[in-house]
Amino acid sequence: MNTDQYIDIFLDESREHLQAINDNLLELEKDPKNLSIVNDIFRSAHTLKGMSATMGFEDIAALTHKMENVLDQIRNEERSATTAIVDIIFASVEALEVVVSDISNGGDGKKDVTALVSAIEGIEKGQDAVDEQVTQDHTSNSFEFDDYQLEVISQAKGQGYLALSIMVKLRDDCILKGPRAYMVMEKLESLGEVIQTMPSVEEIEDGNFDQAFSVVFVTKVSEKDVQATIENVSEIELVSISEISNVNSVTTEEAIKIEEAPSSSSQSVPSEEKQSQKSKTIRVNLDRIDTLLNLFEEVVIDRSRLQDIANKLNNQDLVSVVENMSRVTLDMQELMLSMRMLPVEQVFNRFPRMIRGLARDLGKEITLKISGKETELDRIVIEEISDPLVHLIRNSVDHGIEIPGVREEVGKSPIGTVELRAYHSGNHVFIEIEDDGAGINREKVGRKAIEKGLLQEEQAKRMTDEEIYQFIFASGFSTADVVSDISGRGVGLDVVKNKIQSLGGSIIVQSEQGKGSKFSIELPLTLSILSALLVQVQRETYAIPLSSIVETVSLSKDDLMFVHGQSVMDFRGKVIPILSLSDIFQVPVESLGTNQNYNVVVVQKGDKLTGLLVDELIGKKEVVLKSLGNFIKDVFGISGATILGDGNVALIVDPNALIQD
Amino acid sequence: MARILVTDDALFMRMQLKDILSKLGHEVVGEAENGLDAVNKVKELQPDVITMDITMPEMDGVQAVREIKKFNSTAKVIMCSAMGQQNMVLDAIQAGASDFIVKPFSADRVQEALEKVLG
Amino acid sequence: MENLLKVIVITLNNQRYGINVQQILSIEKMQEITRVPRTSEFIKGVINLRGETIPVIDLKERLQLETSEPTNQSRILVIQVDAVTVGLIVDSATDVLDIDTNEIERASEMAGIVNEKYIAGIAKRAEELLLLLNLQTILNFEETEEVIQLEKVEEE
Repeated sequence: MNTDQYIDIFLDESREHLQAINDNLLELEKDPKNLSIVNDIFRSAHTLKGMSATMGFEDIAALTHKMENVLDQIRNEERSATTAIVDIIFASVEALEVVVSDISNGGDGKKDVTALVSAIEGIEKGQDAVDEQVTQDHTSNSFEFDDYQLEVISQAKGQGYLALSIMVKLRDDCILKGPRAYMVMEKLESLGEVIQTMPSVEEIEDGNFDQAFSVVFVTKVSEKDVQATIENVSEIELVSISEISNVNSVTTEEAIKIEEAPSSSSQSVPSEEKQSQKSKTIRVNLDRIDTLLNLFEEVVIDRSRLQDIANKLNNQDLVSVVENMSRVTLDMQELMLSMRMLPVEQVFNRFPRMIRGLARDLGKEITLKISGKETELDRIVIEEISDPLVHLIRNSVDHGIEIPGVREEVGKSPIGTVELRAYHSGNHVFIEIEDDGAGINREKVGRKAIEKGLLQEEQAKRMTDEEIYQFIFASGFSTADVVSDISGRGVGLDVVKNKIQSLGGSIIVQSEQGKGSKFSIELPLTLSILSALLVQVQRETYAIPLSSIVETVSLSKDDLMFVHGQSVMDFRGKVIPILSLSDIFQVPVESLGTNQNYNVVVVQKGDKLTGLLVDELIGKKEVVLKSLGNFIKDVFGISGATILGDGNVALIVDPNALIQD
Repeated sequence: MARILVTDDALFMRMQLKDILSKLGHEVVGEAENGLDAVNKVKELQPDVITMDITMPEMDGVQAVREIKKFNSTAKVIMCSAMGQQNMVLDAIQAGASDFIVKPFSADRVQEALEKVLG
Repeated sequence: MENLLKVIVITLNNQRYGINVQQILSIEKMQEITRVPRTSEFIKGVINLRGETIPVIDLKERLQLETSEPTNQSRILVIQVDAVTVGLIVDSATDVLDIDTNEIERASEMAGIVNEKYIAGIAKRAEELLLLLNLQTILNFEETEEVIQLEKVEEE
């Protein structure tokens, strides 16, 4: 973006703020407890951060961001303004002054600030010797909020929500603590939102706590009602609720209160290391994010109008404001799209407990290995994929892994292994479930398929193992000799397959008898956002998903050939059919092209290639997939619509429908 | 006083529960031997509360809760679990069970569960 | 006892019609409509309604009336019937009336202007007869889908 006309203002204001920080730091040294000075410094750093980020001076932004974090901690009385801290902020200000003067001399504003950044980071993380002792006293058992959570709590309070710190203690004779705690959490979630828990939600629902656990909770109902609701769960000894009046106090006063409860119990579970993975997320209703995205799209539309108006008026100031707005909205869009993404961790975290339980029930010994749980997927996919995964894991534990005796007989370790993996690849996420169990019995599956009339005896002989295995996904197919309590619930793998397909994914199984099986699920990264190539056909704009596109080719009229009345072209030595989008979509012809060249978008489905003839290639764009609504169903060759920056609607082409098998 | 349907495949457990329930002043309106039986009897008897064992032949207790909730979403089901059945209990609660008690049953716990469930 | 029905009055080729206000989500000015290929003639395409795409129907074409180009007065009436949200192009949306339900009669005799299956009733008012439209039949799904199916068969 063109920020030149702002550079002078930026430089002036930066100098002012740096000077202010300098002055205030000197004051602070004399009066280290004066938080209003810290506040002033914080605000200056914050302003600097915002301005520099806007101007694209990332090094300044990075350094001021770190300064801001530490200042925030001091401001919130989480640490004191020690000489060490003041020194390092001084050093940072010096560095910033150098950068600013470099910019005013026409420099690019780049400076290696990593040493300073990591020094501040060290302080922020509590490596400051003076502060270490104080913080350590309650890190193990106190709530620590990150910026985001603090923001959520303070905003919730601003909107009339009550922020509560709740400690729930179960009765000593409560045997199944996990399910009991789960009931409490479930009740709470019906009244508001759980922001943070201690220990983590997984640990709580797994029963891995002494007799008490704590949650931070925002709600619109009264403290009394929350209390009554929790107390209505059985086997509760005590519910202690206090309002979080000042966010900072949670880390001190509240923490102590919370600490008391477990210490009164004689039992002690080693909890330190388990608590290392604190959940740093909040639950937001997907509808709200979608609404936000929709509202945001309106902003984008207005921005485009503004852009048009600005260009027409030829007013430079207006043009540059609009340009700045464009840049910011682009960042916002990325952020909002990413808000829909969640790590698969959410689902995976349920499995260790589940496997433990299943193994015990079946008298088996199983180790679960999980990798890639940070892999992100669209929220909807995450929600929907949970059940199929549960089913597949149950299947592996139940039918895959043998009982220890049998394993030893065949020379395997008595402890079976189930591996759960997730990873990204291209536009897809893969989830694999692999076990080192008995594998699939080809004979059995084959026989069953023949019995069911899915397969002819002759065919079966010619099929590869892989091909035979896929029959386990056929409807009503189960080869388990004993229908056990666990996976024999009348739900077959066909249900799993259908679910995955409904999410736009696919599943295959590989197996080796005696060695184990591997189920591989391929899922689209997101359901609603896709990268597309925008193309023009006469006066209409269409979006073609990039995932289907092999290449775009410019084709001269002479290269177009006809075979049996079908237009074809030569694509890397291969003759491929050509379809004109204009013909397929019956686009009203406004003008006959005079171009000697055609633009062809080569799309693929499996190994079938087809060229789509278009008038112009507009460019790549991330588009938000919208349904055409339930009034218009199944339009041939169209998978949905999207709203373009100018507010108009473009249809999204479904290349799979256009490519002939 | 509540009208209660007791579900357990073991006669002994049913006897024990009936004993506790009647001493607490409740009426046991029926007994079911498995999940399927319970589903049918719930339809027939419309009890206020159902106690539900987890591991049973024909249809397990968790599945029975799901089936019952399908036609009576407000049905109040108390699961009767043994130690070490965390996961099944969790499944049952997710399926809509209102509370659970753990074997061996104490009269106090049964009373508490009923009070909480009957609200 | 008087029961009042609030209706929005629209015009199609200078004839006034009433639509139950409860079925109307909003009234929009005409805007760019993106054609959707291979659908019924009366489906003009989709529009962007505050971030959502909704289909738009030319009401005159749907009612088999004489069609004309949109004017400044033309409006898109966004209606919701059952779970379906659709925009209807009308010549104008003029005013809101309260109609005494006792004065509504069945439509059988008034046929002639529009096929009576699309008319829910006729409100007899002092100065005019107002035809009340039956949006359910206008958006009748089965029929609509049949039309789409038919077209598809023709293509293939």
